Amino acid sequence: MARARASEGLSPTVILAAGGLVLVVAVPFLFILLQAVFPALGRGSLAAPFSAVSGALGDARLLGMALNTLLLGALVVALSALIAVPLAVLRALFRVPGALLWDLLFLIPFMIPPYIATLGWIMTLQPKGYLAQLLGFDLAAFLFSVPGIVFVMTLNTFPVVYFAVSRTVETVGSRYADVARVFGAGPARAFWRITLPLSTPGLAASLLLVFAMAIEEYGTPAALGRRAGFDVLVTAIDLRVSDWPIDLPGAAILSLVLVMLSFAAFLLQRWILTRRSFQTTTGKPQESAKRELGRWRLPVIALFATVAFVATALPLLAILATALSRTISGGLVWSNLGLSNFTAILSDSTGALRALSTSLSLGLAAALITGILGALSAYAVVKAKMRGRGLLDGLTILPNALPGIVVAVGLILAWNQPWLPVTPYNTVLILLLAYCCILLPQPVRYSTAAFHQIGDNLEAAARVFGASPLTAFRRILLPLILPSLLASMLLVFAVATRELVASVVVAPVGVSTISTYIWRQFEQGSVGLGMAMAFVTILITTALPLIVLSLMGRRGSLL
Amino acid sequence: MLNSLLRAGVAAAALFSAGAALADVTVYTAGPASLIDKLAAGFTAETGIKVEAFQATTGKVMARIEAEAANPVVDVLISASWDTASDFDKRGWLVPYTSPNAANVPDFLKTETAVAQGVSALAIAWNPASGTPKPAEWADLAKPEYKDLVNLPDPAQSGATFELVAALSGAQGWGLFDELAANGASVAGANAEALNPVLQGAKAAVFGAVDYISLNGKAKGESIEVIFPQSGTVIAPRPMMILNWSKQQDDAKKFVDYVLSDAGQAIVAGENLMPARSDVKADRPLIADLKILPLDAEAVYGKRAETLETFAKTFAK
Repeated sequence: MARARASEGLSPTVILAAGGLVLVVAVPFLFILLQAVFPALGRGSLAAPFSAVSGALGDARLLGMALNTLLLGALVVALSALIAVPLAVLRALFRVPGALLWDLLFLIPFMIPPYIATLGWIMTLQPKGYLAQLLGFDLAAFLFSVPGIVFVMTLNTFPVVYFAVSRTVETVGSRYADVARVFGAGPARAFWRITLPLSTPGLAASLLLVFAMAIEEYGTPAALGRRAGFDVLVTAIDLRVSDWPIDLPGAAILSLVLVMLSFAAFLLQRWILTRRSFQTTTGKPQESAKRELGRWRLPVIALFATVAFVATALPLLAILATALSRTISGGLVWSNLGLSNFTAILSDSTGALRALSTSLSLGLAAALITGILGALSAYAVVKAKMRGRGLLDGLTILPNALPGIVVAVGLILAWNQPWLPVTPYNTVLILLLAYCCILLPQPVRYSTAAFHQIGDNLEAAARVFGASPLTAFRRILLPLILPSLLASMLLVFAVATRELVASVVVAPVGVSTISTYIWRQFEQGSVGLGMAMAFVTILITTALPLIVLSLMGRRGSLL
Repeated sequence: MLNSLLRAGVAAAALFSAGAALADVTVYTAGPASLIDKLAAGFTAETGIKVEAFQATTGKVMARIEAEAANPVVDVLISASWDTASDFDKRGWLVPYTSPNAANVPDFLKTETAVAQGVSALAIAWNPASGTPKPAEWADLAKPEYKDLVNLPDPAQSGATFELVAALSGAQGWGLFDELAANGASVAGANAEALNPVLQGAKAAVFGAVDYISLNGKAKGESIEVIFPQSGTVIAPRPMMILNWSKQQDDAKKFVDYVLSDAGQAIVAGENLMPARSDVKADRPLIADLKILPLDAEAVYGKRAETLETFAKTFAK
């Protein structure tokens, strides 16, 4: 459908979005780009431009690592879709018993930091691990293999697809399919030809996010991949930044390769979305009558329960078992269990509570800022009438492909310049900037998908009746995308609260976050204490948004 | 929405003011967090000078210093690898300083610009509950009893492991590593990652574990023993240095003095590291109790990439 566009100047919405994007994304990225070109940038010198490029790109293993990265991304996307899409469609179109409970249980895997989940799986599946202690066999051969890596990473990412697709399908509703039914289509045909195609924006957006998360994730490929002889770009980048002599230009150049991979996926997604219109939201309330499952009731419950058990219960139990163990070598016997790790956390003898409050406030601030900026940017890209929309859209996808460690380096390079009169560097604000940069794509992708489904006439009507652009945005468009936006802000909160890789490098002196706290415990051999902190964090990050949302009376729209 | 913006702004401002308190001395350290916390508290109690610390692995600390180089923040750096001290010295980044308290630090643990805070050694960390015979020598771990049961930290990620690999391969060639690889030994991340499977029992021993982490585990009741082979091992002194861009050099010197004082060295020993001063006692084997393999740092680090490549090829699947 051709969109009717009135010509007008830049709206304040667009200016706000562009300014925010420049500050949060373009500035650190610019410095990464400069670092790739000028190897001595950190020392304030522009000497020997491009001298590092051939060395970094001449690495004989680069092609193999790039292909491995693509393979990993593609496999995680495929398996995530395979698990999440059927569950999401069932959830959206049918009355699934315990629907809210399943939503909650599928939210938790996202709250489990990937490095913790991976460690939990190692401790469960390795020889003499928890599985072997309970049932007498282990699955180490599976875990330390490419399928094992894909399995563990998918359990962490499939909720992204589940929530996006179930919300989109719910919005599309069954009305359009009902029309098809009236004209004689069978239920399957109506679904494949009408409901699923109309849900493409949510599906494509979430799969793109999963792809970007998979190629950017460090912990799981590092812990499992090395044993399988499976190297990816992120592990090579991390090695350049962690191994003396430090190779910042090399890391920057390899990051740009990663950015290009992600950009290719982004262009593919955009091509899919711009081929046709997906506008389904006309402003009239949707009838949300869901169908009964009938004789499929039990099999569907079994399906939901199986996924919830594997993705949520097993990792949680592994984390809890480790946290409750006095010693790791003592294993799962009653005499070895105790609450000492939890009392150490709650008595704050190790600074755990301060780390918790720091991370929770940062997570909250990051969710608010990225939520607002994300909605504004998505509006500017989808609805505003202006040149350079593609550029803005590109900026919103950039951070998705940048490894956390590289964002951290870019932020230090950008904000630690001696000539800056004030700087967020060495304050917690630098962490906030890092989280906003890394996580901005989440709200943008979700809001963009939602905007694609809103007809242009709604905003036009508001403007005709005298609303200013900001008012129309706030009163008409924002409420319509709010369910998607809130879901993405919740994800931002969860991920920001536990972000590790950038935090380790940019945390100001004397400040620790949840993840750096946990990481330090692991580093010094206190795995139990780290796992206790992880468990407390998962409880809080799951409970807090639920409490906030139910206080706001919006629980139904999200969960 | 403007309300939320405002609220976010207020929250950000509150966070800003919380983090902006400036320290007198800024320490970047690759040591254990509990060690720097105790040293900082003790130093502040004695002198009234505030200390803020940034703690991470040697690699992450160095990455931060590299990125900060245009406008450096750190006053005192404590690395876990002596290599960084020599390199920083060559770049002319260090202040020459000999602390009066360094008189009893052996000569090989100090230079004009760096002095050890403490020392760790590499060892075999063995789980007595693993059902394997107690190893006494590096070569024991290549025996059939340890088939598939040995972990090595990755020398690309652990500087100390690199020195062990360099020293052993320099003294006796790559034969031992070939045998280890043929016996199913696996390379597993940095130090903690290599130790964890040994604690749970998936593996029986770490070949080249950093001793103090295992000793701390043992003190907590883990089933783990730390064995120093008679044939020799390498030590990993933790160099402490003052950066020449520091605007707090006098306070930084006082901090170095404190770490090398009786009180400071007692804190180091309390974390199961060897004190740098030979006259301070500790409840663990000390340098004099170990045979240290000779290591020509210049030559070894000159061939670093080659050594890592040979190692990676040896253990490639």
